[in-house]
Amino acid sequence: MLLDSIPKALAPLNLEKVDPGDYSKTGCHLEVAATPAQMPAVAEALLQEGCFLESLTAVDTSKAAFTLVYHFANFSELCRTVVHASLAKDTEAPTISHVYPGANWYEREVYDLFGIKFAGHPNLKRLLLPEDATIHPLRKEFPAEAEVKAEAPK
Amino acid sequence: MEAKTGAPLIHLGLLEEALNLARANSLWPMTFGLACCAIEMMAAGAARFDLDRFGAGVFRPSPRQSDLMIVAGTISKKMAPAVVRLYEQMPAPKWVIAMGNCAISGGPFYYENQYAIVPGADLIIPVDVYVPGCPPRPEGLIEGILKLEEKITKRGRLRKFRDVAR
Amino acid sequence: MITSGIEEKTFVLNLGPQHPSTHGVLRVLLEMDGEYIASAEPVIGYGHRAHEHMAENRNYHQFLPNMGRVDYLHALAFNHGYCMAVEKLIGVTVPERAEFIRVITNELNRITSHLLWFGAYLMDLGAFTPFLYCFDDREHILDLLDRITGSRLTYCFYRFGGVPVDLDEDFIFGCRAFIKRLRSRWVDYHNLVTKNVIFIHRAKGVGIFSKEQCLLYGITGPSLRGSGIPYDIRKSEPYSAYPLFDFKIPTGANGDIFDRYLVRLEEMEQSCRIIEQALDKLPNGPIMAEKVPKRIKPAAGEVYQAVETARGEFGIYIVSQGDIKPYRIKLRVPSFANLSLMVESFKDNLVADVVAILGSIDVVIPEIDR
Repeated sequence: MLLDSIPKALAPLNLEKVDPGDYSKTGCHLEVAATPAQMPAVAEALLQEGCFLESLTAVDTSKAAFTLVYHFANFSELCRTVVHASLAKDTEAPTISHVYPGANWYEREVYDLFGIKFAGHPNLKRLLLPEDATIHPLRKEFPAEAEVKAEAPK
Repeated sequence: MEAKTGAPLIHLGLLEEALNLARANSLWPMTFGLACCAIEMMAAGAARFDLDRFGAGVFRPSPRQSDLMIVAGTISKKMAPAVVRLYEQMPAPKWVIAMGNCAISGGPFYYENQYAIVPGADLIIPVDVYVPGCPPRPEGLIEGILKLEEKITKRGRLRKFRDVAR
Repeated sequence: MITSGIEEKTFVLNLGPQHPSTHGVLRVLLEMDGEYIASAEPVIGYGHRAHEHMAENRNYHQFLPNMGRVDYLHALAFNHGYCMAVEKLIGVTVPERAEFIRVITNELNRITSHLLWFGAYLMDLGAFTPFLYCFDDREHILDLLDRITGSRLTYCFYRFGGVPVDLDEDFIFGCRAFIKRLRSRWVDYHNLVTKNVIFIHRAKGVGIFSKEQCLLYGITGPSLRGSGIPYDIRKSEPYSAYPLFDFKIPTGANGDIFDRYLVRLEEMEQSCRIIEQALDKLPNGPIMAEKVPKRIKPAAGEVYQAVETARGEFGIYIVSQGDIKPYRIKLRVPSFANLSLMVESFKDNLVADVVAILGSIDVVIPEIDR
């Protein structure tokens, strides 16, 4: 039962919180809170349990911090784990792309839209916006005025 | 057409009318589907709505071989230079149909803080016919192509053959 | 005669963003060693329309039409996932008849998506006939769906708490007649394509995804089931009325293009089975829940809802802070993960196989770019 074996696998990492979640309300069976520095170890442990990385995103929670949100699920048994990691602004988070190669693009997208850098990422370039863009649009302080008319590009 | 591609150096009179008829009845569109409208463009080319009966069914992948660019979908700022380059690669005389609300004015994606799209194809290339809809029905696209044919031949749909023959 | 002393180098071939078979605006930089691919780097973002940013500037009702445009080929599944997520947040239960209507329209949409994949993919490989056949079949479904939803492609049909329009007798009769007709087409498709020697040579043994790769990259959908892992959200994490129906999950053995192709054809047949059972068991009753607030203002919290679309798992993650506008919406789209693995699989393949593998994943680029 993954609901038991995942908390057991995460126990040696001394995470802040490993609690069962309310599936009917939130869609997740396990709710975990960790620091970004612990994320590679968490990812290793979950890969050992046979989980795949469902989604990796960030939320601009407050003026001082982002929250990185990782969702993991499993092909053979229904057990969704959500991991929240609070990251202070202007700090780097370690990458998990050496554990889950699928995280490569997710982390690039988070860098593109939020400006969060991932230490150890092999190719941290912008993914969705043009390479020379200077904005990080999903930050809450993204300016309200945007250029309406595009100049004819050369 | 002359205003966009320059006045012709030589006026060929009746031959020009015949040439315009030929151009209108065998428009070769370029496969330029950007987003959702591309599927309705494909449906317009498929069996039920059949663009081929208007001579416009031969979709060419290369801009060098086509004379009609159907901008079907939202133009993002990243894609805009490619759109302009493709338009410039097409040989004259060439025409553009802006298909769908996104190509006309940004469509459902235009809002005050939008940072990612170009709100309208006519901001970067000259557009001849606008086909509204989100997405427009294939019949709408066919109506747009027929309107373009009227624009090319400068006469109504039904009269064009009778007048040229006179 | 090649004389000695000529240095052989790799060169970069640019595929896209305008290309007949990139299924949207995808650009792949192929570093080629002759005809073989040494490395491939995709450049995406040519269809970025800022859906997630729009979500922060719109209330829950206003964001509903966006969902039809993320993946326009299976728009109803995206509608479904979003509506279920918001219904979880506000605590509304959908009545049974509405669940059945949602399942029927969803499965019809899945069939149109697979049919379009079938036609477009074979056109990429050079076969023009299947395109016309399957677009014809697709038009019949679009007529049915047009009658009740009002749209042909970018549906915005479900509402929070149910569906706005009920099915009528003409729709039910037309649906049954169409399923009968579609079943007679399987023979044509198998004769035309599955047994075709050229297709078999291009598809068997090409573009193999191993189970290990699927786990590391988070692949879902027919690309995963072609590799032998029977993971389908409709069975693994059942939602809506799916637990009431009896259907199989087709899987492949080898994980090559041919297996993915067979999985999709078989899924269309299973969708037909689901629709038939749903029409047989369709209960009477209301189609909208009774107490749905006019202003959707969920309590603070988050929700993750996964649904199975034609391409794989669509997951929507909504963070609400008690406002009428969502604080953050993340759209986890299946083609994102599928494309990132696919580009790895290009290495050491011939450039002619690149197009074959690219089409077999069934990506929709605007959903990747959101």
